[in-house]
This record gives sequence, structure tokens and C-alpha cells, in this order.
Amino acid sequence: MAHITINGKVVKAHEGEMLLAVIKRLGIDVPALCNHEAIEPTGNCRLCMVEITRPEWEGWKKNVTSCLYPVEDGLIVNTHTPELLEIRKTLLDLQLARCPNSELIQKMAEEYGVHETSYIANVEGDNCIMCYACTRICEVLGKSAISAVMRGQKKVIAPPFGEEPVDCIGCLACAQICPTDVIPYEDKDGIRTIWKKKFELVTCKNCGKTIVTRDFADYLIEQRRIPHEYFETCDDCKRLELAKKMGGLITKAAEVAV
Amino acid sequence: MKYRFEIIPSLCIGCRTCELACAFSHAKDKKPGRSRIYPLAYAPDKYVPVVCLQCDDPACVKSCMFNALKRNEETGAIDLDEERCVKCMACVAACPFGCAMVDAGHDEIVKCDICKGNPACVQFCPTKALVYNKV
Amino acid sequence: MHIDTPKKLEQWRRDCRKRQDSLKKKILVCLGPGCLANGSDKILDEFKKVLKDKKAKDVSLEAVKKTGCHGFCAQGPMVVIEPGGIFYAKVKKSNVAEIIEKTLEKGEIIDKLLYSDPDNGHKYTDYKEIPFYRHQVRISLRNCGQIDPDNIEDYIARGGYAGLAKVLTDLRPKEVIETIKKSGLRGRGGGGFPTGRKWESCAQIEAPIRYVICNGDEGDPGAFMDRCIMEGDPHSVLEGMIICAYAVGSREGYIYVREEYPLAVINLQKAIETAREYGFLGEKILGSDLSFDIRISRGGGAFVCGESSALMKSVAGEVGEPRAKYIRSVQKGLHDQPTVLNNVETFATVPVIIDKGADWFVSIGTPKSTGTKAFSLAGKIRNTGLIEIPMGMTLREIIYNIGGGIPDGREFKAVQTGGPSGGCLPADKLDLPVDFDTLTKAGSMMGSGGMIIMDDRTCPVEVARYFLEFLVHESCGKCVPCREGLLQLYKYCTKITRGEATEADLALMERLSKTIVTASLCGLGQSGPNPFLSTVQYFRDEYLAHIRDRKCPGGVCRELIQYVINDKCTGCMACLSVCPVGAISGEKKKLHVIDQDKCDACGSCHDVCTFAAIDIK
Repeated sequence: MAHITINGKVVKAHEGEMLLAVIKRLGIDVPALCNHEAIEPTGNCRLCMVEITRPEWEGWKKNVTSCLYPVEDGLIVNTHTPELLEIRKTLLDLQLARCPNSELIQKMAEEYGVHETSYIANVEGDNCIMCYACTRICEVLGKSAISAVMRGQKKVIAPPFGEEPVDCIGCLACAQICPTDVIPYEDKDGIRTIWKKKFELVTCKNCGKTIVTRDFADYLIEQRRIPHEYFETCDDCKRLELAKKMGGLITKAAEVAV
Repeated sequence: MKYRFEIIPSLCIGCRTCELACAFSHAKDKKPGRSRIYPLAYAPDKYVPVVCLQCDDPACVKSCMFNALKRNEETGAIDLDEERCVKCMACVAACPFGCAMVDAGHDEIVKCDICKGNPACVQFCPTKALVYNKV
Repeated sequence: MHIDTPKKLEQWRRDCRKRQDSLKKKILVCLGPGCLANGSDKILDEFKKVLKDKKAKDVSLEAVKKTGCHGFCAQGPMVVIEPGGIFYAKVKKSNVAEIIEKTLEKGEIIDKLLYSDPDNGHKYTDYKEIPFYRHQVRISLRNCGQIDPDNIEDYIARGGYAGLAKVLTDLRPKEVIETIKKSGLRGRGGGGFPTGRKWESCAQIEAPIRYVICNGDEGDPGAFMDRCIMEGDPHSVLEGMIICAYAVGSREGYIYVREEYPLAVINLQKAIETAREYGFLGEKILGSDLSFDIRISRGGGAFVCGESSALMKSVAGEVGEPRAKYIRSVQKGLHDQPTVLNNVETFATVPVIIDKGADWFVSIGTPKSTGTKAFSLAGKIRNTGLIEIPMGMTLREIIYNIGGGIPDGREFKAVQTGGPSGGCLPADKLDLPVDFDTLTKAGSMMGSGGMIIMDDRTCPVEVARYFLEFLVHESCGKCVPCREGLLQLYKYCTKITRGEATEADLALMERLSKTIVTASLCGLGQSGPNPFLSTVQYFRDEYLAHIRDRKCPGGVCRELIQYVINDKCTGCMACLSVCPVGAISGEKKKLHVIDQDKCDACGSCHDVCTFAAIDIK
């Protein structure tokens, strides 16, 4: 256990955990766009910057991204200095210039008093804020079917060579994790289309409902040792099945060990 | 295992009190759609409250690639860490009982956590079809 | 041949020197990038061909040597004849026969090929006396232009691998680090971090593997110091790396070279193979317990890959993007193992420090920036080329004594140091000594050593716009302040050069710059606004002239200038014929007129006019 001071209050934290986790736990409002518990932090959005210092630094301070800075005993953290507020405001202002149509960015910028971008707004282009959440979540699956390609302004998230991603299993994690909802997908007639690739959806043999793609189910069966028969019916039908079985046990209570 | 969650289908009258209790104790917007339990009519006028069975060898935990589902050693429940959940629906598809449920309106996974050891549905069930006891 | 003891190395060195001395005359043909572009390879071939056909007295075929860059690129292609250091500038293929006949056989000097001082017409025979060379102190460039990079014997004869032998026989790893620390050597790649301290912290970390990486990803436009060392003296880089490997306890090293330097890759590869053959690389180097090998990793030429953490990712085969360095590379670098990463020039300096001692190195330069630094001079300067000077020399000495001043009688306006993310320093900073701390304090930086000199026809706003465009293009695009912030700075700079900006825009740019500097993830972003910040600091009046008066004092920004024909016009019709938009009208021997509505200010007429009859307003 380490002791750190956040905004004047001494708190306990685990040595090595990231500062942002501690700050969130305390309920302090530090914005972050690229941070998600399920993925490794990268520090793309820079919004979670905080000021740190130590007594032995003799007044020297520095601003660090709290999502990447590990807790050290004795650290003194400030989350809302005027400089940090200015940084966050400018960053959100810049994001708004990039994605003027993103509702999320509009809302966050509004909170920092930016109603309209001060900069030259990008009229074309989508709402991608280049947070890499999608590529990082794909990496967690061990697939890395998409990645950030090109550099600078031309950087886009794309499958290799802009073609159908070979390694994609259509799990939708990328589209779901995207904070600004820019990854389009469609489920129609038993087919899911994402990244221009078409996937067969597993269809419930009783009712025809679809949940996941065949490729994703196969991945779970293979990698996660889930019995393949679990995927034959949908959750609705499986619940009905469960109810029928339990209802059949009229006199004895269905015991469910906890 | 210190506690046991019992479901007695013969006592269930399908009043949906458990559903409301669950929604009120969990969901921010308190809609019954976000309930983790509901009485399912498997035959005319015959009900079974369906809820996560907190399996010993849970398929949902195995299926989750992001470690968002974990056994809570204190309550015995399998808790969903919403901060880690990506809503990929792997658990929904993998649960053999269909009890990792989806809140249709919000595309969010709703999963019974036994109310951190004090289940609201048990408290409010008028017919005691739901029982939570020390073993 | 395998050299397995330091004693054998010394024996071999004596043999090499004997063989070198047996060549009574040496012809050093520069094959550096500048001379090569001017066809020096053909001159080399011609020398070989003529000498093959004709048996010249005292001159053997081996006497013709291709060498790396001599530095004086403005005078290339150049040929140096030893002994005597006879320096022939701007040599043509047709001069070769004459050089062999007169200079090599008869010992006569060919006057017309000698370098003559443009100020006083004085002709120099020995290159060491030319002002360009006279003020230099060459340490990292010690062998460039002196040896054939493919011939290890040349390197050995000039004391090569002596530093390594000394380290392996006399010094423990800790003592090597102490020597480097004492020498005060600071990283030549731009950061200026003390090399000895870097090595020390890497050596202190417990780990099964440690890596040594040489950063040869020289990305600054106009900089070619590292390129010349890698091409012209690859063994010095290898030797520096091997010494480092011994000091920190590494077995594996990488040299990261950009694909745009094909000759550097070839020469380094050859050098590595030769070094393996002779036992300087591989198992049990020089019979000691040290085992170390080096591989070349070729980069795609992204500017950001010169940043250490991005470079390591690139070496590992990942996308070259920087990471936050709260955990430093010496702790967790390549493949998460402790890694020492130094620049080419730094490694090339190490063997000399070991050989001659830390005290000798400290005696050169300033107390806080010891030794020398290589720079490439480019832009509006007479003697463009590669130089190496002791730290602490003033900008004025560099630009006027070595660089020969500004050509065409123009006036000095600014010097840009530190590459695209460095800064522009104006005339009143010319007396600043060049060292790490002074340049940083003045709002620029040492960088890897590019120096671009600008004359009075330069517009600082346009310069800032140009470098920002480069940085926008080369930003990796990972973090927001760099990717979006630099783009906005660039857009506003463009607005200023078009006369469309307001003073409020300028204030916004300054505020934005502050955030980019503090919030960016890596050095590229943190130093990205420098071209703007340093020009606005020193040339604010010119920014305001663009904004308030819609005028470009430098006469560069097309939207803000007019070309007007004055009465010096003789009616030669030269401008009329080059004008791409047909804006000039007039008859032969009569005053021409530019139609301002048609003119798009390309400046072709101004360039072609020999009567100074076209004014920029």
C-alpha cells in the first residue's frame, strides 16, 4: 500500500496501479476519452493529465497523463490546476474542430465552456477521435484484425490494405467500445457486415434469433472451451428450457448452489 | 459457500414483484426492462422466476475475453465489471441457461449480482418463492 | 584472418601502416552524398581506368581510394592528393588525365583546380589551410574523407579498434562508464542527455538481456552528419557500440538506419561482416569474454521513428509510435528489456574518448557541453557542407569563418538550428556560443545538428509555415495536441501568409502552442510549435506586418507581394517569355508592364531579369 495526496487529501492506493484508477475511485471528475478498463492505456487523448510533484522535488512539478502514471508512495497529485483546465479545454476544443458533429465531444466540450470550436473546423471526415480503443480491444482478443494505418492527419483505423480483414471474427467489440460510435455494422437476414466483411450469424434452431457470428462462436468454442451445443439455441429459448425443467420439479425446490 | 439462493417454482404466481424490486435496486433509470430476474410462463399460468444460477463452472466467465466477469468470493455471485464490459455478447451466447441477459433498450448486459449479498427480489417476493439462506 | 588477442591487433596495425606507407601517393576521391550527386563515381572510375591503361610512376591502382564525405560539399566533386593535402575542387572527369600527368607524376599543382577564396582570390593548396577546414576540430568525423569505408585496414591504420582493445584489456565495465561520465559526453542526437549516466542506469538494472541500439534515423531536412559517418566511417560506429556493449553487459545490438540511406546500409552491412570475420563481433571478441553482435534494422523513413521509443517499436516490428516514457528505455526499452540508445555521432565519438582519455575530451568545448559537434550547413550560405566544431564556438564564427558568410551580397537574417522542431535565431543572437544549454535558452535547440541559414529574402512566417507543414505531415497522429494542434497552427500560419489572419488569431496560436508543448506525448509534439514560437518571438513585427498591413517584408508570401517593373527595364523580353500566365506585356526595347490582375507572383520574371528591373513590393 502506498499513500498519495490527491487534491490535498491523503489516500491509500496500490503501488503500481495507475493514478487515473485511484482518481476515478475517489469520484473526482477527470475526463478521459481513450481510457477503458478492458484495454491497455496509451495516453492518446491527453485529457486525464494531472500535475504531480514530490516534497523532494523542491517545488518542481510536471504534468503527466494519469492513465499511464503508476502510483508511487509520497506522490502529490493535483487534478484541477488552472493550467490543467486550460489544457483540457484546448484539447476538447481541438477535438471539436476535428469532429464538430460528435455528440459526445460536444457534450464534453460544453462542460469546459466550449460551445463552438475556436479553431478551423474540419467539415468533412467522421467522428473518429483516434483513441485506438478499437485496435486495442482487438489486440486483447489476440486478433489485431484492424490497426491505425498511415500517420498524422491521414491516419485512419483500417484493416490491412483496406481490404476485408482476414483475422476479423465479427465480434463487434471494436464497434461497441468506440466512444463516438463511428464503426458501422449491420445485422440483416442472418448476416452481419462489419469492415465490409460478411459473417454468418449463429441462428437459434428454435426461434431463429441471432446473437453472435459463427466465427466468434467457433473462436469461443476453440479458445475458451465452451461446449458447442450452448450456441445452438438463443438465450430466450434457453431460459424457456430452464423454466420448463425447473417447473417440472414441482415438489422439491430447485437447488442452486451458490 | 455460505449462502444458498433457492427458487421454488411451485410458489411463484408470476406477480413480477421480483422484477420491479430488481430494477429498482440496480438500474439507474428504474425500468423493469433492466431487471435481472423475471417470472417466465413456461405453461399457461405456470411460472418460474428465471435468474442467473451462478454456476460452479460458469461458461460466461470463460467466454469473456476482457475479464469483466469474476466470482465475488464474498457473495458467491459472478459479478459483472461494467467498466471492463465491451458488450460483445459472448456471455449471452455462451450461457447454457440464457441467464446473462441483455437490456434490449440499452444493449447492455444485465447480470444478477445477488445485490451484493442482500437480494431485493427475495425481500419483496410475496409468496416466498425466492429464498436466500445461510447454509 | 581472425584477431583473437589485442597483441595480434597491434601487430596487424603495424602491417597495415606499412602497407599504407608503401603507397607513395594517395588519391582520395570523395564519394559523399553531395559529390556523388555531382558524378564523383565517374571520376573515380576514370582514375582507375587511366591508371590501369598507363603505368604511372609511384602511383599504383591501390592509391585511388573512394572515401566518405570530405565536408566541403559546395566545392564538390573534390579530389584530395596525399601527401600534401592537395585539394582540387569542382573536378570534372576531363581533369583526371591532367591530374595524373601533372600532379601525380611530376608533382605540379594545377592552379585552376585549386580552391580560391571568393573574397580575396587567394588560392589554397593544402586543404587544411582553407578557412572552411582551418577552424574545425574533427573527432566524430575524424576518418570521414580519409579512409575507404570498405577497407578495414584503412581504419585499423588510423588507430581503429584501439579503443576497444584498451577497454578489453585495461578497463572493467564500471571504469568504462566512469570514463564516459568524466568526459561529459552528451547525446548527439539532440536531447543532450549525459551518455555515461545513461549507460550507468542501464547497467544497474537486473535483467537477462540488454540491448544496444544505434539511432541512424536522421530525419531532419538538411541534416546529413550521421549519414556521412555511417557511409564514410562505419567501423567507428561499430566500435563505439561494442565498447558500450562491454560497459553495460549486452550481447545484442541494432543499428536503425532509414531506407533512404541505401549506401549507409550497404557500407554498414559490409563493415559488420568484415568485423565478424576479423573477430571484432561475434563470440569472444579479441579473445575476451565479451560476445556481441549487431544487426541492421531498416526504417521506412518516418520522422517520428527517430524518437527513441518509436524507434524501438519499429525495430520490434510494430507501428513506430512513441509511448509515454514514465518508465525509461534504460529500464524497459526494446522488447521491454533495458536498452541503451545512442545516436551515430555519439557512438563514433566513444572510441576516441577511450583512446585519448576523458581529460583530453573535456579540454575541448565548454564545461557543460564538452567535445565537438558536427553540423551540416545548408541554405543561404557560401560553404554548404559538413563541419565539426568545438562546442562553444559562436554562431557568427560558424557562419562567417567556416561557412564563408552569405552569398550574393545579401544580409544574414536568421539561422535555424535543431531541425524542423528547432527554432530560428536572428542576427542579434549570432554571438551566442553553440552548446546544448545556450541554444535551448534562446528558444531553439541543438537538435541533431542541422543548420539552415537564411538571408534577408526570407519570410519568417513562411519559414514557420513550411516547417509546420513538415511536422504536420510527419506527426505520427497518436496524440491529440500534436496531431490536431500542429494542424491548426499550420492552418493559421497559412492564413497569415495569405494576409487573412487577425491579431486575435495570433493570440490564439500562442495559447495553443503552450498546450501543445505541455500536453504532447513525445518530443516531436513538445517541440513542434518551436518554428512558430521562435519566429514570433524574434520577428513579431513581420508577423504584424502580414496581419495589419498585408505586407510581406521578406518579399516571399505570394498573396502579399507585387512584382513591378521599374525604369531599369531595357525591354529585353526575357521576362515576357518566361511568364507562365502571360501577365507581362511590352515591345522590344520598350518598358514592359506587369498586369497585376493576371500575375500570380511566381517570381520567374524576377529570377530571369539581369538588369534588376523588377522590384518586389
